[in-house]
Amino acid sequence: MMAKKPMLTFITAMTAMTMALTACGGNDANNGGNGAGAASNSPDNGAGEDAPKEVTFSIAYATGDPATKKAIETTIDAFTAKNPHIKIVNYSETTSSAYLDWLKTKDAVGQFPDLVEMRDTKVFADAGKIVELPEDLHGLFKLLPEYDGKIYNAPLTGNAPQGVIYSKKAYADAGIAEPPKTYDEFLAAQEKLAASGISPIVVGGKDIFHMGFWTNYFFENEVYAADPDWNSKRTAKTASFTDANMVKAVTDYKELFSKYVDKGWLSTADNQTASILVTGKAAQLYSGPWMFGQITEADPSFEFGFYALPNREGKTVINGLPSLAGWSLSAEAAKDADKVEAMKAFIKFFFEPAQYGPYLATVNGIPTTTAEVTYETGEQMKEVLRLMSDDSVVKSLGLANWYGENAIPPQFRNWFYKLLQELVLKDGDVTEYMKQADAEYDNNVKANQQ
Amino acid sequence: MMANIKKKKWTNYAFWFLLPALLVYTGFVIVPTLSSVYLSFTSWDGISDDIRFIGLDNFIEIAKSPRVHNALKNTMIFAVALVVLENVVALALAVLVDQVRWFRNLFRSIFYFPVLMSGIIMGFIWMIILNYNFGVMNQLLDMTGLGSLKTDWLGDPDYALISIILSTVWKAAGYYMIIYLAGLQGIPQELNEAASIDGANRWQQFRHITFPLLAGATTVCVMLSMIGSLKIFDQIAVMTDGGPGFATETLTYIIYKVGFGELRQGFGTALAIVLFALTLIISLIQIKLLRKREVQM
Repeated sequence: MMAKKPMLTFITAMTAMTMALTACGGNDANNGGNGAGAASNSPDNGAGEDAPKEVTFSIAYATGDPATKKAIETTIDAFTAKNPHIKIVNYSETTSSAYLDWLKTKDAVGQFPDLVEMRDTKVFADAGKIVELPEDLHGLFKLLPEYDGKIYNAPLTGNAPQGVIYSKKAYADAGIAEPPKTYDEFLAAQEKLAASGISPIVVGGKDIFHMGFWTNYFFENEVYAADPDWNSKRTAKTASFTDANMVKAVTDYKELFSKYVDKGWLSTADNQTASILVTGKAAQLYSGPWMFGQITEADPSFEFGFYALPNREGKTVINGLPSLAGWSLSAEAAKDADKVEAMKAFIKFFFEPAQYGPYLATVNGIPTTTAEVTYETGEQMKEVLRLMSDDSVVKSLGLANWYGENAIPPQFRNWFYKLLQELVLKDGDVTEYMKQADAEYDNNVKANQQ
Repeated sequence: MMANIKKKKWTNYAFWFLLPALLVYTGFVIVPTLSSVYLSFTSWDGISDDIRFIGLDNFIEIAKSPRVHNALKNTMIFAVALVVLENVVALALAVLVDQVRWFRNLFRSIFYFPVLMSGIIMGFIWMIILNYNFGVMNQLLDMTGLGSLKTDWLGDPDYALISIILSTVWKAAGYYMIIYLAGLQGIPQELNEAASIDGANRWQQFRHITFPLLAGATTVCVMLSMIGSLKIFDQIAVMTDGGPGFATETLTYIIYKVGFGELRQGFGTALAIVLFALTLIISLIQIKLLRKREVQM
């Protein structure tokens, strides 16, 4: 009997210690993920029956661009100041390139945000992590794309067209008086720029997403403008990367990168491109309006212009259709009616012209709301908005932006961009490389069907 | 009899003392490892609750995938180059530091300093040094009239691999230097003195006395550097992101890329199992060979 007592004491101590350790590890995840939940489920704070119920929800968005981060933080601060009973826990801490990895990690540790900027709607909707956007919010927006007949996103901005951001000085020095009207004129301009001693184009090839900018220019012009359903045909194996139009697109891509792109493009990060442009190391950058602020910040006196690059026939095709992205409500948070109301209130507040206008001005965004929004823009952004409102400009989407039947396997995009890098580096045969693309695409489709 | 009872009692107590650690180890290592084995036979995307068993499909794909073969080739290049260079440099540094008369501790600290840095920070430092447009390396070449030698050190497939190897050697050599140094200080000085009297020069002393007596340290260093090189990840993630193209992708790197970025956790886990098996086989062979050498010495 006496011998058992120390044993019992020992077991009790061990159990207590194990529980304490478990509590240390597990509490964080539980509180983090549902920290909001803990608060939201708590009863009224005793401030009286009329006092609004205290609610906390977590929020997350990609913070690669400091201006975007600041703009959203400003809106959050204004919202919580106006609604002191609602607390917003901001999880945002990662760059755009690692956003999906970061969200997956948050999900794995039980901290999937309640309100999340969703960029991979298909993946998270299929996994049941996000829910449909509440119907009473639909009226806020001009156009809401559907996935599987359901609307999941409140789009923060419209899909931004990409184009050539150029140094006015470099163009003047090279004797280029006006933006080219066809792709061939653009190539001739590259020759002039190279002859003037400047590297014609800077590319941030170290960040793999940046490779999509030029890829999508060629794909949209050569393939998607004529056949927006090309991706679904590729999935069904009725179209191939070895088709003439696709081979032409990739051949043009290879020629451009081999001849006119800055030599250090493969070790240049996306966030270094603005510096290379303003320091006069390169004359042009192919990117979107989100770069305007970064360029001005890098050198306020730097004079630059923007134009959408026309194709060989002089037609302009831009990245401008809506895609599946924007604020989404997590499935877990949607179970809590108080949280849903708080998140809806935030979304309504975010898209009110008083907040949305300054946000758009900061990020050089395109409005998505039915309510008229006015904000100050520079000459480059005016051109972007003109392109978006011009019906003669064809609106399309990039390789990985299509959704529904036209969605590509999620793993294919980065692999394909790397393949294109290798094609340029090894001066490979385009058709042979496109055969590899077909094989990989089919493998990915097969793997995802398992 | 009493001794046996005491021993049994102590064994019982020892078990209870070990239990907390065993529970933690089981929860954080054994269970995830066994789960990984199961997940390697599934098509799990890492997010959804839908985990489908697909048998050996992931392993069949690994056997057929040119990307995996390329990563395996790169991993082997890293492993061989790093094991050789890290150990040669570490041994050379250890011998030099052992013989230096002044500032011995200062030199030890300087050579050991890079070890203290995280791989991520080290990667950023070298990425900045080797940047084509703004990097110190190319600026130095420009300033010294060697501008024609300017290279995209991390963007050219031929140089990217070499750049990562050399920067990793710079970081790791100090660690192995300390192990070799400990081995050197355990060698009786009389042996070298006797050899010197017999007319052996410095190289002959090193070749026939010092190096053989460092067999134990060599076994440890070679094995650690081999395991470390098979796991190389931080430098690649920061300096090249596996690029340009697929030029610096290694097995550990595509495990992460495929598992997290490409939403194929099942396939990534199967790759991890392959890497585990590979590391185990290489380590066992290495230990066997090096132990045999130790005995012969």
